[in-house]
Amino acid sequence: MTLTLGDRLKVRAMVYVASEPIPRFWPMRTFIHHNPLYGLEGKSFPEAVAEGGRLFHARGYLERSQYQRYRREGKVDDEHLRRRIAGFLSSRADVPVGLDLEAWLWHMATAGEQSRTLKSGDWIDGARLAAALRGEVVAVPEGDIDPSLRTVLARHYSSESPVYRHVDALFGTTIGATLDDLLAKSCLDFFDEGQSAWQAPGREAGFYEAWKELARRNARFLLRGLHLRQVLAEEETAEGMIAYILRRLEVPEEAWQGYITHELTRMHGWAGFIRYRMSAQHYYWAQRYPADLVDFLAVRMVLGFALLQEGSRHHGTPASAAEVTSLLNSEPRQAYLRHALHGGTVLPAWAHEIDDALARGRPARIAHMATAYVVARTQWENERAAASLRALARGVGSRAEAALESLDSAHLDGLLTVLRDWEDTEGYMWLQAMESHYIDELVAKIHRPRSEERSDRRPFAQALFCIDVRSEPMRRHLEALGDYQTFGIAGFFGIPLGYLEFGKGSEAHLCPAMQTPKNLVLEIPAGLDLEEEPLYDALQHVLHELKASVLSPFVAVEAVGLLFSLGLVGRTLAPLGYHRWRARLRAGKPVTRLLLDKLSPEQADSIIRAVQRAMIVRALARELRIPRDTVTDDDVRNLREVALGREKGPSVLAQRLGMTDAAERDFLEKLRGVYRIDRAVTSLQMGRLGRIGFSIEEQMRYVTQALLSIGLDRNFSRFVLLIAHMSQSENNPYESALDCGACGGGKGLPNARALATMANKPEVRRRLRERGIVIPEDTWFLPAIHNTTTDEIELHDLDLLPARHLLYLERLRSGLNAASRRCAAERMPQLGTGSRLAADPLAAAAFAQRQAHDWSQVRPEWGLSRNIYAIVGRRSLTEGVNLDGRSFLQSYDYRLDPRGRLLENILTGPLVVGEWINLEHYFSVVDTESYGSGSKVYHNVAGRFAVMTGNQSDLRTGLPTQTVLKDGQPYHEPLRLIALVEAPLEFAQRTVGRIAKVQALINGGWVRLLVIDPEDGYRVHVLDDGAFTVHPRSARSMQAPSTNPVLEA
Amino acid sequence: MGLMWCVLAAAFLPLFPLSWLFNRAVASLPVGAVQGGAALLLPQLGLALLHWAPAVQAWPRMEREGGMVVATVSALLYAVRALSARDLGIWTRLVLSSGLATIWLAWWAGTPISALRVMALGWSLPAGVALVLTGVLVRRAGGAYIGLQGGLVAVMPRMTTSLVIAVLALTATPVFSPFFALWKGLGSVPVAWLPFWLPLLFLWGWAAGRLFQDLLFGDYRGEPVTDIGRAGVVLIALVFVASVALSFAANGGLL
Repeated sequence: MTLTLGDRLKVRAMVYVASEPIPRFWPMRTFIHHNPLYGLEGKSFPEAVAEGGRLFHARGYLERSQYQRYRREGKVDDEHLRRRIAGFLSSRADVPVGLDLEAWLWHMATAGEQSRTLKSGDWIDGARLAAALRGEVVAVPEGDIDPSLRTVLARHYSSESPVYRHVDALFGTTIGATLDDLLAKSCLDFFDEGQSAWQAPGREAGFYEAWKELARRNARFLLRGLHLRQVLAEEETAEGMIAYILRRLEVPEEAWQGYITHELTRMHGWAGFIRYRMSAQHYYWAQRYPADLVDFLAVRMVLGFALLQEGSRHHGTPASAAEVTSLLNSEPRQAYLRHALHGGTVLPAWAHEIDDALARGRPARIAHMATAYVVARTQWENERAAASLRALARGVGSRAEAALESLDSAHLDGLLTVLRDWEDTEGYMWLQAMESHYIDELVAKIHRPRSEERSDRRPFAQALFCIDVRSEPMRRHLEALGDYQTFGIAGFFGIPLGYLEFGKGSEAHLCPAMQTPKNLVLEIPAGLDLEEEPLYDALQHVLHELKASVLSPFVAVEAVGLLFSLGLVGRTLAPLGYHRWRARLRAGKPVTRLLLDKLSPEQADSIIRAVQRAMIVRALARELRIPRDTVTDDDVRNLREVALGREKGPSVLAQRLGMTDAAERDFLEKLRGVYRIDRAVTSLQMGRLGRIGFSIEEQMRYVTQALLSIGLDRNFSRFVLLIAHMSQSENNPYESALDCGACGGGKGLPNARALATMANKPEVRRRLRERGIVIPEDTWFLPAIHNTTTDEIELHDLDLLPARHLLYLERLRSGLNAASRRCAAERMPQLGTGSRLAADPLAAAAFAQRQAHDWSQVRPEWGLSRNIYAIVGRRSLTEGVNLDGRSFLQSYDYRLDPRGRLLENILTGPLVVGEWINLEHYFSVVDTESYGSGSKVYHNVAGRFAVMTGNQSDLRTGLPTQTVLKDGQPYHEPLRLIALVEAPLEFAQRTVGRIAKVQALINGGWVRLLVIDPEDGYRVHVLDDGAFTVHPRSARSMQAPSTNPVLEA
Repeated sequence: MGLMWCVLAAAFLPLFPLSWLFNRAVASLPVGAVQGGAALLLPQLGLALLHWAPAVQAWPRMEREGGMVVATVSALLYAVRALSARDLGIWTRLVLSSGLATIWLAWWAGTPISALRVMALGWSLPAGVALVLTGVLVRRAGGAYIGLQGGLVAVMPRMTTSLVIAVLALTATPVFSPFFALWKGLGSVPVAWLPFWLPLLFLWGWAAGRLFQDLLFGDYRGEPVTDIGRAGVVLIALVFVASVALSFAANGGLL
């Protein structure tokens, strides 16, 4: 079969289009909270939920019973729900007359016991339903039932669905599940990032090429009877193979796009991870072992095709779309019985007989049974629907029952349509009614600032916390304890930076996931000592190597196995004590500085020289056992020059030590290959060094922006704390999900240190002064980190603190410690420890410590669960208000932002991060299996970048049930983010209108927007159904909807 | 004459190929308690008939060993058949047939009839309970077909618990009486036959695992159903406690 370039390009384009709705999946080391329907954000929320349901077979809303439970708890605005029902009915022209359908829908929603009152059916219509309501025998299709069966089957078997799915549904085979297993195994082999001791060969060639080579010789495939060799010989390229198989499967060309979409979304975890790799330009593993979705699809389609062929050979099942269609058309009775039996919809009483008839395969018996079954099924479906309607009518009232009985078949058809359509949208109505309740609650909580004038009183300390919901309780307690002023700012402090931590080999991006940092910051130890490694760390390194090796465990288990038991017992029985003991053994992290200033070319060259010399010293010690004290600086310089090819050998050192030419050549090769003392690498490094640091102008700009964005431009206190945050847990693949979302799932301390260093710099302060921001000479910016698991706040870079500030350090620390304990006392009971700890802050703090070190703890903290609000405005709106740790708090003073640029930054950065976090939680609750990742208990780490359920599955995206459920019920109430912006309404509208993405999110209903207008008496304007209305509780009087065009630029 | 008694007994105490009669007879009865009662009574009737057969020692060795082969094949055959059965009632009858075939093995090995009665009761009791529960499922859920509805544990936890216990007992899981009865009854069978029983235990365990996976766990996809009452569970529990106690009493020597 010859494929043109056009064919290949067409397949590539189709794969691209099909992959758009699949959310990228970031490696779990930097867990990125994201909206699982990110690819559908162009649609409105309800449309996207419906599309997500079709693509990922997932639920978009909670079960009706859960919403009813919330209603009983007073968390649903009944009035709003009634309005929604009325709105739904008024928008329809097909409402049957004579029925109080508002009452029907209200009863169905609030008292219906099942998730859907009206179940779907193949044989329900108004006329049959009328007969069933009258208690009569329901009429079945007269004469030949084959045409009716063909129509029913055509609804269930689309040509866009994969052929194996049809075969599974008709023959009870498990091709789909087998295919998923084989594909997961192939992906695990290829994408492994160092977890396996033995790596798959040939990965540099790319996923499809490497897999193809292995598949030709794979005994596992041969044993399964999969004849891959012949298939693989047909086409060379991945896209060619996809086109070839689609043609062999006889899938109509107009159905290719849908077919490819179904195939890619079946394992959207793996597809999402590959999609992430494709877009991550600097991802080491992607650069080394390239793969794309065309490869992934090609592997899937080859395996699927081979499995279909195998099924056809051994069981006579169809092997192409045409054969399936032929079965459906030529033998609709057999096909219908198969569909009923293997699709799981068969009436239980018929299952055995149908199974028996199909097994025996006598056409006459099958035909007879199909006729009889259709009669029984029709009767049953209509009787069931009639019973449901009757029960519903009974619940509404006696007159409703009589009205139902009097409906003719046309009206019954109309009633069925209306009720079914309502049930399709009911979840969204519940959601809006719940949000309305929480909007009311927020409006009731916030208060007008006592004074519009800004206070001149200088607080003891000012603290900038991340907007994260976990900062809210800490801020509240700190403010309550004394003279502290707090602010909320995105945890990366507005500085997107690439960070190379001391001792780490790869760069971390500490900024929101949608940004790519231009600047790189290096952490350098103040006392650099490259040659010594602490004994305990060295021992641990050896043990790790032993564990990772394939053979060594066989011999090492008796020798050193007991050592591991110490850790096992310690971690299990006394996690805190064990941790403290181990911390004493381990070498502490050295004092470090950040390399923050931009480098001149000379400085860059000097750094490379310094690093290369250190590497040469290390290489001499390791490779040749030559200690540092026998080598001079000149020797090292000379060796470097020889390795770089700038000087000719033999080197001075080789001559002095009498090394042979071969030995020196070997050593130089190692220097170039292993230690990277190479001219090309050096040139590359020079380029990279250009990324290091920030110019003074950039530093001034970042400091200005950070301060102005939170409304802090004057009245600086002695201490300005920049408090980043992190979490701490053991044995938790999801640890980074608990870290800072604004730092790309990392810890924000480097950003805090960077901003503090910049803001403390005299040159930066001088330039700030020129722009009107006067930072007093005695103000010191101090970085710190808030451990959200233990509630501790640890101050950093204290060695740089001016001596005169040390006098106040004790007061600062005691205040922070007290706030930490109070915060723990508030938080620990929420983890199910009982209320005792609420009254004992010390015990609560101790318990929090244990949580952080307990390796059996599946829920070290609640993280961002229960998030619901995002408040962008001055702290005075919420100061002293208990927001229950449910609100993102971004400080903002519109008076310092006349052009709305700062608000733009907030809306495009922190708000979008908040929206992703919120929707990740939302969808992980409403469908814990498809959007969430199920229970942590069954998770296994896959390839060091994700988790799977069991030993082999799709990658589990989303949050585990332990993060969002408590005792089987949602702990996180799944609601969309309610964002309150404090600014004049028109100003806010204008600003939003300038940002297309944010406008789409707000208009599409992904975020609920409220604007509190300080220039309009602090009235709250709620955006609902595309128009702003004044919230009744905030208004001086009820207002009509605003007539302003909504959010237009 | 001896052979005739054996043939007659095999119609009630199932032994291939006459076990077909036993299964047809039970299947033809109304689903539920009647079938459960038949599962209890028929094997005892078979043992009563076997009582009239000549003592085992009187049979030629070849015939004794031939009988043991038929019993072993019969037990294995029905265990394999249970793997593919999807109807709970049929599954129960097949496992019961497989279990009761081991009684023949024990008889040919010379185990006294009194011990065989306890042994038969060990299988019949859980099978009887399982058949009663099958009837409950058929009446309330429309059928008891494996792999159709799934997730019964979520909607009928009491019924599920009772069924799990019955199935575990029926498949000779330790603690339950068939396990002790099996070891007691087969104690006199030569060790050379051991390799045949181990696959038997494996097959029963496999069949039980399949049943649990496809019938009880996963997501429930059927119509709303009501669970059995607490009184029913207590009654079933009492039956099992009594059978375990009886087993301990009758097989005390083993322990």
